[in-house]
Amino acid sequence: MSKDVVVDIQGLTKSFGDRKIFRDVTLQVHQSEVVAIIGPSGVGKSTLIRCVNYLHPFDQGTIRLLGHELRGGERPSAAVLQDIRTHVGMVFQTFNLFHHLSVLDNIVLGPVEVKKVPRKQAVERAHELLEMMGLTDWAKAYPRRLSGGQQQRVAICRALAMDPKVMLFDEPTSMLDPELVGDVLEAIQRLAQQGMTMILVTHEMMFAKEVADTVVIMADNAIAEMGPAKQVLENPQTERARNFLARVLRNTPPADIPQAVVGGDPD
Amino acid sequence: MSLFSIWGQYFPSYLQGLGVTIELTVLSLALALVIGFVLALMRLSKVRGLVIVATVYTDVLRAIPVLVMLFIAYYSLGAIGIKLSGVEAAVLTLGAFYGALYGEVFRGGISGVDPGQREAAAALGLPPSSVMRKVVLPQAFLAILPPATNRFADIIKDTSLVVTISVADLMLQSYQAISATYRPMDMLGLAAIMYFVVYLLVSRVLARWELNVQRRRS
Repeated sequence: MSKDVVVDIQGLTKSFGDRKIFRDVTLQVHQSEVVAIIGPSGVGKSTLIRCVNYLHPFDQGTIRLLGHELRGGERPSAAVLQDIRTHVGMVFQTFNLFHHLSVLDNIVLGPVEVKKVPRKQAVERAHELLEMMGLTDWAKAYPRRLSGGQQQRVAICRALAMDPKVMLFDEPTSMLDPELVGDVLEAIQRLAQQGMTMILVTHEMMFAKEVADTVVIMADNAIAEMGPAKQVLENPQTERARNFLARVLRNTPPADIPQAVVGGDPD
Repeated sequence: MSLFSIWGQYFPSYLQGLGVTIELTVLSLALALVIGFVLALMRLSKVRGLVIVATVYTDVLRAIPVLVMLFIAYYSLGAIGIKLSGVEAAVLTLGAFYGALYGEVFRGGISGVDPGQREAAAALGLPPSSVMRKVVLPQAFLAILPPATNRFADIIKDTSLVVTISVADLMLQSYQAISATYRPMDMLGLAAIMYFVVYLLVSRVLARWELNVQRRRS
């Protein structure tokens, strides 16, 4: 495994009972690489990234990251699990902010409880992150007061507060109203520019093309095609990838694409 | 003798009885909360043995009338050498029975917390005990409070069963007043009013608490 591979997924297979979710997925993510995983619903994209921080166990294969190796059908020790989760940030489709805590406390909880950072220091860092996301005024508010877009940006702050080595995004914009998508994508793009290693499950094709280095198309419970973003999206080689892209692009009228964010020409 | 003067005459002994009633309620509630919490954790655990024990306990305790359990605790345990005072037998019985009910209340509240909340906490690296303490329980609290309040009010009323084992609670005081005055309507009426006032106080205070917690989080 070459030195700058941060996440090394080999032959991953997962089923829920009799239902095969995906089989034989092999994927390497390098330092500062942005990998976008796209594909129709129900092919296991979300499940795949949830295996990376072991929110889901898997049946076969291995995932190597942060000097640990997760093996199919083997539950890792609590210490390994905690080390991986501490250094892998996750942003969920439904935000999952803690409703009973203020925005600030949502961000502070992880560093204080898990990394034993002094509260004062964690609070300072939280304010910095909120400022970066343009949420300075919301520190004391409770999550339910915020719009979906704001909640998702707080969720990104919460993950960043742990100083993760890798960030996982599980369809971060699919629950948002169209006009709120831009702010969240902009935040993710900024992270990419800062060199954060990321795996991103998304339905935003234009965004994937703009921000991702590598695009992985999953179809029929396996990887259909993967490669440099532009190449895979513009000139897919496999029929399954072509079918999927033809379907999606037909359903994405140009008006829905957040031009301000992607900047480029949606050809 | 007018109603009020006779009430006035017995009021001190009623107050004394009320003190015993409150003592029984508080002790039973404390025991029930502990048992309930343990039962909820057992039923939510992945260890089959614990789940079975907790489920059997809950079903059995709920199936037997409280009065039957109270007599078992007071008379039958005595016959095999475990001598309990009236208050001890009452607290044990009510605590054990309401523990089973609280177990269900807690379990419902805890499992009603959105799984995404646990997932988010786990993804931050929080160990399971912290996930429970910092995220799940505080959120379950709001769901638990209303049914827990109702059960609490039921405990207050059920303490009156101890009259059958001669514990000098509010109910026993009113029995004695009845046999002295031959005015069951009036003397039970006073007891009913006092139960009602306590119930009202407790439910109002807890409802206010509930409202405050809710307001704070929105």
